Amino acid sequence: MTPNGALAVAFVLIALSMSGPGPRGTALLLMLTLAFALIELRGATLIALRRAAVVVLPLGVFMGLVWIGIVGRAPAEIAADATGSRAAALVYVAGICGRLFFIVAVIQLVFLRFAQLTPLQFVGALALPVGVKRMLVVTLSLIATLRHAIDRAHTALIAAGTLTRSPSWRNLFHAWRLIQAVWLSAVTIVLGRMRDKWPVENTLALLDRTLAGGNPKWLLGDDRIWLPIALGAAVVILLADRIAGAS
Amino acid sequence: MFTTPRLIIIGLGAALNVSIGTIVYLIKLPVYLDSIGTILVALLLAPDRTAAFLCAWAAGWIGLVVSGLINPFLPWFAITDVAIALVTALLTVGAAATFRARPLRPIWFTAQVLLCGAVTGIVSGVVSAPVVAYLFGGVTGSGSALVVAVFLKAGENLMSAAMLSGLAADPPDKILQVLFAALLYRATPGELIAMLRPPTQVRLIR
Repeated sequence: MTPNGALAVAFVLIALSMSGPGPRGTALLLMLTLAFALIELRGATLIALRRAAVVVLPLGVFMGLVWIGIVGRAPAEIAADATGSRAAALVYVAGICGRLFFIVAVIQLVFLRFAQLTPLQFVGALALPVGVKRMLVVTLSLIATLRHAIDRAHTALIAAGTLTRSPSWRNLFHAWRLIQAVWLSAVTIVLGRMRDKWPVENTLALLDRTLAGGNPKWLLGDDRIWLPIALGAAVVILLADRIAGAS
Repeated sequence: MFTTPRLIIIGLGAALNVSIGTIVYLIKLPVYLDSIGTILVALLLAPDRTAAFLCAWAAGWIGLVVSGLINPFLPWFAITDVAIALVTALLTVGAAATFRARPLRPIWFTAQVLLCGAVTGIVSGVVSAPVVAYLFGGVTGSGSALVVAVFLKAGENLMSAAMLSGLAADPPDKILQVLFAALLYRATPGELIAMLRPPTQVRLIR
């Protein structure tokens, strides 16, 4: 399977989950996704599910606090001006969190499917214009740069006595200095790279060559199986509950 | 249009959006602070409004793609990012000279930050409200969901609660973001800004 094929399948699955299928459609969608996960990833499926849980669980707790704790009614009840119940709010929160869990899990499945590729290889294999791919690679690189800048600025400000290691009011008051130090540190690094390092090492030309030579492919190997299955299943999932309802 | 320094600054703006936005999202503050990079990119490209809009838009969307891995709500607000980039290019970029003036003119600086932040906040609040109301039933994962909850508890319907929450939470948030962006713009070395300009304008900003 190619990254393009996997992303296309993921897009179809996420779009289907957002289309709000009924119980039969949802069951079919889950079966299709599970089949994709087990065939393409096997044991790594558990890692994807665990990562999705780590992202969505705090969100679920927060949404539960807001909807069940504070509001105490589901949106449909609010719209209908009904009295409402916390149980309905719980069902609503569970539905939203379930959908978000599904989306995050599908994204994780795609990335884990290509865990053997470096980020550069993954981006290079995408069927996108070279400029967009270069932008993505540069952004990922700059996020790492920014993280290093944060570490350095944080340590320097602690050494200077401006910030403390443990949470404190001083940290809150001087957080702005940290942001400014991080920005200036990142700008200095970027200036150094653009002015000296990259021209000497011919980095951007080499990056462009690497990305252009990634030879992105479509519809190879398992793509030819999964894409038609996903598209065919999409029609079935969208119609499943309507046909069942009509009969 | 998309020269190498501009591409780098788009990446840096996106990285800034991701870094600060993610921290704020995880600690559930009732603000977002996820567009500082977008606003800053536009300011760095002042006075070229077209370049400012396109580069800020690119920074915003790349930030959304990357942040979406941590915050699954964010990618649905892609249109809000376009609106922020547009308002910033049309309005905030006009205040770039005031933000960078030396010595600082505090009254003008404050007035411009308040005006640009408030307008950006109102526009983004209005644009975001239908997404918040219809896609997520009023509550997203950010701390501002608490504001929606308060309005719902007070008897407002879903759309008006989302709209009122947006109008209550977005202007202060955007004022804060414009302030941070303006201060970072002020602190940015002229050498970097010169690299972003067409060669004919380089001498003017030094």
